[in-house]
Parts: sequence; structure tokens; C-alpha cells
Amino acid sequence: MKKKVCMLGAFAVGKTSLVQQYVHSIFSDKYHTTVGVKIEKTTVMAGDTDVDLILWDLHGEDEFQHVRLSYLKGSSGCIYVADGTRENTLATALNLQQIAQNTIGDVPFILVINKQDLINQWEIDKKTIDEIKKQGIPVIMTSAKTGDEVERAFTILTKKMMEK
Amino acid sequence: MSSKATDSHTLNSLKDLLLKPEQKQIQRIEKRLDDPMIRANEISNALPDAISLSMMGSDKLPRAIQPVIDGSLKISVQKNPKAYADAIFPALGPGIRKAISSTLMGMIQSLNQALNHSFSLNGLKWRYEALKTGKPFAEVILLNTLVFQVEQIFLIHKDTGIVLEHVVAKDAIIQDPDLVSGMLRAIQDFVKDSFSTDSDDDLETLRIGSNRTVWIEKGEHALIASVLRGTPPLDLRIQYQELLEEIHLKSSIALANFDGNPSPFAFYREPLKDGLKSKAKTDKIKISPLLLCVFIFIFALIFYWGFTKYQNHQIWQGYIARLESQKGLILLSTKKKNRHYYISGLRDPLAHNPDDLLKENEKRQIFITSHWTPFYSLDPKFVIQRARLILAPPSTITLSLSGNTLYADGIADQMWIEQFKRISVTLPGIDRYNDDKIQNTDRHRLVAELKALSDMRIYFKNNRSRLVKGQEDFLNQVLQKLLVIQTLQSRTSLSVQIIIFGHTDSSGTEKLNLKLSRNRAEKVFNYLLVNGINPAFLTLSGVGTQRPLANEKTLDDRRYNRAVSFKTFYINSIRGNL
Repeated sequence: MKKKVCMLGAFAVGKTSLVQQYVHSIFSDKYHTTVGVKIEKTTVMAGDTDVDLILWDLHGEDEFQHVRLSYLKGSSGCIYVADGTRENTLATALNLQQIAQNTIGDVPFILVINKQDLINQWEIDKKTIDEIKKQGIPVIMTSAKTGDEVERAFTILTKKMMEK
Repeated sequence: MSSKATDSHTLNSLKDLLLKPEQKQIQRIEKRLDDPMIRANEISNALPDAISLSMMGSDKLPRAIQPVIDGSLKISVQKNPKAYADAIFPALGPGIRKAISSTLMGMIQSLNQALNHSFSLNGLKWRYEALKTGKPFAEVILLNTLVFQVEQIFLIHKDTGIVLEHVVAKDAIIQDPDLVSGMLRAIQDFVKDSFSTDSDDDLETLRIGSNRTVWIEKGEHALIASVLRGTPPLDLRIQYQELLEEIHLKSSIALANFDGNPSPFAFYREPLKDGLKSKAKTDKIKISPLLLCVFIFIFALIFYWGFTKYQNHQIWQGYIARLESQKGLILLSTKKKNRHYYISGLRDPLAHNPDDLLKENEKRQIFITSHWTPFYSLDPKFVIQRARLILAPPSTITLSLSGNTLYADGIADQMWIEQFKRISVTLPGIDRYNDDKIQNTDRHRLVAELKALSDMRIYFKNNRSRLVKGQEDFLNQVLQKLLVIQTLQSRTSLSVQIIIFGHTDSSGTEKLNLKLSRNRAEKVFNYLLVNGINPAFLTLSGVGTQRPLANEKTLDDRRYNRAVSFKTFYINSIRGNL
């Protein structure tokens, strides 16, 4: 089984480093700036099936560069990434989620708030997170640096995609 | 009777009571069934779901309605063709454009190949093949010459970019197909977003370096991307397009509902593998005889050219060497321009003709333009030669040169000697002359003539100043001699004096004899004078008996003294040789 998964998020939230230890990549990071996307691949066990996640690591959204919506086409799932130490990245992630939903419709997604290792510097408080969770959005707090929860984030999304 | 009626009424009431709801239901159903409007309304609500359900199950419905659709399409097109033309134009236009451009590409490709192979042995073979099969010659060439290899073929799901199937040629080096396919898809989107305005314009061909190409065939739900090396025939592309069409036809549902599971497409592995075509380069390099002939001809031409060039160079060098070794020729410059050789220099008129230094066959081989400026060579050989030419010495004279002095040795007449003295010093290379060894012939002759004259006698009659008969001839001889002497004298530097002595015999008185002798001398003198002898040479003297010419032993001896004799003198007026 193969699934296309888009990774979206603001600039420098750690999308690339988030997946680095788990993925297989043959392309250099240059593609982010040139083509706006870099394709990576990781395999996740969902039940007793191996699922190949074809990760479309999209260029970080910022005020100068916007996500190419055509890259979202055909995605089975999305991972929105925010940086816990920058509150506005959460807004960007949620905004991107809306844009993606408008573009490709309802697909399973998760919200990953990265940089858990810097939790004492976080701007996003627990209350906000709980509110988001209440809306039915799965939120996973990870640390790309230590690798905490990263694998679980992929597994949760994979399960959601397989259930659909 | 009344109970019967009551019973019937009761039954009806009971019936009503029991069956009324059902009856109402039946009435409603009847109404629904009878009223076409209600039925149409219901069917219209159920139809979409029914069709969807039917599509999910089998292809029964499409099969059933196909004739209806065909028929209605036909009627509709007949009724309003323009609407259809308008509708299909956007779809047809790009297709036609694409077909034309790919045909043109193919034509250019075949033209190139045809030009390259028109004259080879294979070319002839292929012409025969084209004739036999009825295929265009260019196509036959293309089929036989293209060298290519299809390295990999991807069957890619269009929206997700996920690889549905992937085949690789045996020796191709590949990267992870999922990643490559994803990126390829992304790049396609990127290119389309960035450069294309038309929704049908897509990235169709990627060129990597000069030898590798990626062809992307686009279908509604899937793509076939083929990675090729070399120059593949465009037919192959059509094959891929056909395969893609077939895949869409057979698996349109699976493609439309693709959920990430590529296993249903494993079926296309074999057809895709069929697309992994290649054509290897023929190892044997065959050279057509015509080409070989051309090569040999060119080689021969080059060889001939080289050899001629070498030969010409040799001739040229030899000629230059010969010119340089020649006396009287001085080379100032030599140069070669194209096939022409140019020489300029100085040439003594007496030097060897430079043209003669080239052999006849050499003259035919190289073209030499020479410019010679005349000059006088001071080489002794030329100085002496020039002296000989200008002075024209008689054969009795030998000229020689020592340093800058010209020596003449031998016998020459005075005139030449004068000329020698005058001219020799004006000749280039000669400062002085030496005539010490020249013997002057005129002097010799003059001296000889004078001597002969002094031996001559003219005899007179006894006691008279008249010539003895027959002496007139002698007198004339004397005259002739003197004329010669006079001429020779004028040509030499000798100053000549001739004394005419008149003699008498011993008979008679001294006084008479002196007078008589003088008369006799005068007689000769006058004769010579009137006959053109310059009197300046001549002196006359009557010596009587004082200088007897013979001893008068007998009387008869006296007649030898009755005569005129000549005494000659000469002195050098200037330095000269005798």
C-alpha cells in the first residue's frame, strides 16, 4: 500500500528535520527552494500491512512563498506542522489546513507541534492545544531533535488513512 | 331479509374497520402506479443512485444503454452539427496539434537519417527493402539505424504521483521509483504552474544531456513515463500512448478509485516490459565500397598533394642552392605564395642564365617568377670575361688578371693596343693595365718595310737622270712600299725619316757627278711626291761617288752605282716596344 502524504507548515518549523531520521530521500534540500517540494519516503506498519508513505515535504509557507496547491492533489493525508516556540506557526498550520481542505476536500490529517525539547520556551499553551483537540483534530507533540513521538505521529496518521 | 341487509352492512362496516388502512394504501399505490407524473418524479430521484449502483456492480448498464446513446448521438449530430463541432473543438485542437508536431518531428528525424544513409551499401539494401515492403525509404532507414535503449518505464497514478507499476531494463541503474515518480509528478506540476497557460499543455519530454530523454504520456488518471537513452523511434511513443489508452480502458474504475494499493496494476507489468525495447549498435563497422573508394581517392589525393608539395620543395631548394653557387648571381629574396615561387636578385649579364639551371621537367612542375637586376660582378672570372668581350683581343693576345691589373700578352696591332690602353681601365674591376708583353705588329712591319726599302735600288742611264728601261716598275714598287710605310707610321709611335740618295759612277768630274746624283734623287723624290708621299718623311741628297753602292772592279760594275738608294731612320716619338 502506498499513500501520498503532504507535510505543510510555516517556514522553519522543522518539517524536514522531523522526518529526517525516519525517511529515505534521494533528493537534496535544494528542491525546496527550486521546485517547492521534496519527495521522501518512509514505511509505517499499520496493523499487519506495510504502508509506504510518499511524503511530499512542501516548502515552508511564509510571507514570500506560498504552497503550490497543485502539489496537494491526490493526497491521502496531511501533516500540519507548527513550532511550539512560535505561536503564529500554529495559526499558519490551521490556516493551511483550511486551504488544503478547500482544495482537496476532507482527508485524514494530524497536527504536529514540534520542538517539544524546548517546552519551557513554548508560546503555545496547553489550553489552546486542548481547544484544538476538542475540535477533533489529533494533536501530537514531537521533538525532531530527540525523535520523541515522531514515529507515533506517522503511525496515527497512517491508521486514520487506513480506516477511511 | 332485513337481517340479511343488516348482516351485509355489518360486514361492510367490519371490512371498513379491518381493511381501511390497507385500502387507502392500495389506493395510494394504484394512484402512484397510474399517475405517470408521480412515477417520473420517483424514478428521477432514484435514477442517479440506481446508475451509481449499477456501475459499481457490473458493466451491464453501459452495455444496455450504449445503443440508445449511439442512436441519440447520431440524431443529435445530424440535427445540430455545429454544436458538436464547438464542443469537441477544444478537445480535438490540441490533439491535432500534437499529432502534427509529432509527425513533423518524425519527418525531420527520418530526413536526417535518410541523408546520412543515402550512399552506403546499407542504403542500397534498405532501398530494396523499402521497395519490397512498400514502406517509405526514410522509415526503413530509421528502423535500421536508431540506436536506443528504454531504461525504465513508470506507470504513475496521475493525482498522487504514486508508482502503479515500474519496469527496468536489466543493466539500468535506478533510484527509488516512488521518489523519482513523485518528484517527476511534482516537476510536471511545477512546470505546468510556472509556464503553461493552457490546461492541456504538459511537460511531455525531458532532455537530459544529449543522450537521455524522458517521455511522459498523459492520460486522464495515469501517466506513462519512459526513460530512454539514445535516439528512439517516435513509433515507440505511439506504442506507449496506445498502452496508456488500453490501461485507461481496462482499469478506469480502479484508476479513478485508486486508494494507494498498486496491486491491481501488476497485471500491466508484462505489457510495460514489452515497451522496454532497445536496439544495439552493430559492432561490425561496415564501410561501403563507394565510401571506401571515396576514402582511397581522398587519401590518394592527399598523398599526391603531399608528394607534389615535397617534390616541389625539393626542386625549389635545389634550384636555390644552384643559384647560390653560381658566380655572378646574387639572391636578394625568395618567397613562396600559394603554388608560386618568387625570386629577386642581381645578375651579371655574363652569368649563367638562371632559367637554364632548371631542368625542363622541373620547369613544368613549379612556377617561378624571377626578377633579375643587372649588375657587374667583380669576380675575377667575370672581370676578365668582360674584358675579353669588350676588348675583343686578336687570337694572338692573351689577357690575364692579377689583382686589379689587366695584363695583355702577345701580338697585336697598334690600333688594338691603343684601345686596350684606353678602355681597359674603364672596365669594372680593373684599375690598371700592363701592356709590357704586347708585341706591336705594325712596328714590326714598319721596320721590316723600312729595311726592305733600304735594300731597294733604282738604276739610271749613264750620265743621265733618266731611268734605265724597265726601272719604272721598281720605282712604282718603291712608291708602294712608301705608301705602306706612310700608313704604318701613322699607326705607330715611330717617327720615320727616309733619305733618298742619288749616286753616280766614278766616271766624270766630281762636280758633274754631284749634280747628276742630285738630279737622280730629285727625280725619284718628285715621283713620290706627286704620288702622295708626305714630303716630311723624305730628305734627298746627291752624294755623287762618295757613297758607292758597289766596287767598280770592272766597267760593267759602274752601272750599279748609277742609282738611287734609300736610307731609313726611325725614332720612338713616345715610349713603345719594337
